[in-house]
Amino acid sequence: MMRSLKRSLALWWLAIMLMLGGLMLIEAWSSAHRSADQALDGQLEAASLTIAEAMQWSDGMPLIEIPASALEVLATRWQERVFYELIGADGQLITRNAELPVTARLKREVSKAPVYVDATYHGETIRLHGREVSSAGWDTQEPVQVWVAHTCIGRDELARTLIERTLTRILATMLMAGVILIFAMRAWMMPLRRLRSALRERELEDTRPLLVDVPEEMHELTDTLNHLLGRQRQHRDSLLRFIADASHQLKTPLAGLRSISELSLKSPDPRDWQQALTTIQDETDRTSRLATQLLNLTRLRHQVDLADTDRIALDRLLKTTVLEWAERQDARDHDIGVEIVGSGPFVVCGEEWALHELINNLIDNALRYTPAGTVITLGLRRLNQQLELFIEDNGPGVGVPDPASLIRPFERAGRQDTCGSGLGLAIVASIAERHHGQLQLSHCQPSGLRVSLLLAVAESGHGEEDQ
Amino acid sequence: MTGRHWRWVWMACALLTALPAAATTLIVEAALDQDIFEPVLRAFQQANADIQIDYRDRSTIDVEQRARASDDPPDVVISSAMPWQVALSNDGLAQPLTTPEAQQWPQWAKWRNEVFGFTFEPIVIAYRLELAAAMPPPSTHRDLLDILTHYRQQLDGKVVSYSPYSSGIGDMLFQQDARYTPRMWDLVAAMGAANTDFRGTTRSMLEGLTAGRYWLGYNLLGSYALVWAQRHPEIIVQVPNDYSLVMMRTALIHRNARHVDAARRFVNFLLSKEGQFVMAGETPLFSVRPDVIGPYTAQRLRDEVGDHLYPIPVDATLLAFVDPLRRQSFLKRWNRELKILRQPAD
Repeated sequence: MMRSLKRSLALWWLAIMLMLGGLMLIEAWSSAHRSADQALDGQLEAASLTIAEAMQWSDGMPLIEIPASALEVLATRWQERVFYELIGADGQLITRNAELPVTARLKREVSKAPVYVDATYHGETIRLHGREVSSAGWDTQEPVQVWVAHTCIGRDELARTLIERTLTRILATMLMAGVILIFAMRAWMMPLRRLRSALRERELEDTRPLLVDVPEEMHELTDTLNHLLGRQRQHRDSLLRFIADASHQLKTPLAGLRSISELSLKSPDPRDWQQALTTIQDETDRTSRLATQLLNLTRLRHQVDLADTDRIALDRLLKTTVLEWAERQDARDHDIGVEIVGSGPFVVCGEEWALHELINNLIDNALRYTPAGTVITLGLRRLNQQLELFIEDNGPGVGVPDPASLIRPFERAGRQDTCGSGLGLAIVASIAERHHGQLQLSHCQPSGLRVSLLLAVAESGHGEEDQ
Repeated sequence: MTGRHWRWVWMACALLTALPAAATTLIVEAALDQDIFEPVLRAFQQANADIQIDYRDRSTIDVEQRARASDDPPDVVISSAMPWQVALSNDGLAQPLTTPEAQQWPQWAKWRNEVFGFTFEPIVIAYRLELAAAMPPPSTHRDLLDILTHYRQQLDGKVVSYSPYSSGIGDMLFQQDARYTPRMWDLVAAMGAANTDFRGTTRSMLEGLTAGRYWLGYNLLGSYALVWAQRHPEIIVQVPNDYSLVMMRTALIHRNARHVDAARRFVNFLLSKEGQFVMAGETPLFSVRPDVIGPYTAQRLRDEVGDHLYPIPVDATLLAFVDPLRRQSFLKRWNRELKILRQPAD
């Protein structure tokens, strides 16, 4: 599910508004009914008072002409059905137009204070009001209970009007809040939009830091973007340098070939031709090797992830590779040895061809950049959960303070006397990176160079089948 | 009787024309003379051939009892006893009518959209020509009191009025009179002194006037009296010039009406322009609607007698008139006042 800031904000707003609105509605409902009751209970009171006023005692009998106006007041402008009942002190009926649901409890209560209650009369809700009136007469001074009631059409209508008004207010408030929220959301989204358009309008080559006016909270984002842009710039620069270097490297032998062939063509002597051709062959070999190395490097750099990994016994691979070299012409003047510290298994996960190429390059490099008679030692040892594959020599070493700079392509530490491609260590570094290894270059004491590669030990469990 | 015959003829016609449709019989309990009301019934039948009307012409008391009886309820109740009609509504025995006609009906002539006053009948004084020859004929309540005081001997036993005992209308009219002015009790005392006769119906008062038993009648239904006077030139009908009560016949649809749709159509017809037009033109019931033109309309009556028409409003105040204790105390005073001036004479 796509997460949208706007949507989640809107949902939150809606939830809050619904909750608040609900609470307000409940409050409105009860207060509307309270107000309606208050307004119309006054009419009940007026009616009961008018009836009480009209009552007189005559010959020990209550005599009352029910005032027409009392009933009119009781009916209200909603033309309610109206009911009344007058009860004497000892419970005898004086007069009534309906048998009101006056309970014994209500009769007790009304003797203390006037009563207002909701009641049911023949299935219809009525509002019942009672008061006790003491009236003076010559023979009797008995209190009389006046009960009046009416139906609730007016109350319901009044309450409904009040609730509708409140509801309108609530809705208007919510609507206004919603509109404000939309504008606020627009304003909040503005910096994001500016950032987006700034990124969109940017040229591909433009890796300058972004200069967008954003709020404080978004500084982290722009900083990260700028950092990424910086790294891209570096990458691009190194790529361009690599291409320039590679072109240069290819151009030099080609220029040499051209001059050789031109010179020999001017000579009428076939022996010169012979010699030129031999030189051309050597030069072509070297150039072809350079091209192969470039291809390898490009391939390694291009495919960032390991394709298919195997469990590789590094000790066996190392021995095999060194044996291959020992048989070659190039290694005849050097003393190559293998030193495996401790017992295996020395198993890592990786691509066999790549690791083979790595060792090849390390040995080739050592042979190329050291004088004859140099002792070259390849070694393998275990450091906790890592394996260290190293190669060291006792040659003259490199003339740069930071040996790590040697891994840059075509970096030969100022040495132009060899026929190396200048890509060996760059390839090694790429392979190390592919295997998540750490490549370290350091000076040896008293002299020489040490290159070490730290690789993670493969999870055990299948060790036997590699033995 | 002729009306009754007409009714059968029309019912037969209605039956013949509406044979395919299932005919409904609308039960109308009415305290309203069928002779007078017949044109309205006929007009309704003409417009609604699928409805037959079972018109039951009764006294106000009978109508009230039928309406309150739980078995066999009527569909429509028409009565001149306005308090009782409002009491029926207040007791939940009526159901509202919400047609446009009912909604637009004047507020003073309806209650809860359940009780509708659909006529406008002034309460009048009627006297014989002999009276006018012997004394100044009364045109106001004060005139009435004056001649009752000054010509007591001549008028002794010759005055008639509605009985508050035997008629719901009589009771209502006197109570309403007493509400407007306490001088009414002077009038009652004067009537008592003149040994006034009290009757239960306007018709019997009119008959007595025609027969010469009475010279003067007070608080008669104008609708009946005006028709009567047209045929009996010896009787003069006077709408009081100071104030004149106006009574309304009220109609309501019974809560338990079996033919609700027909009942609604009938009451709606009474309120409609067509129904009111018939009332204004062919009956002396007087139309309430101001947009109806005819010899008998409230508007025309107002134009003739001025602004002192006081229709008894159809509202909750009428409920006071049916309170038994109020009635009892009213009658108690009535009896006392009747005798106040008579006693020294005896």
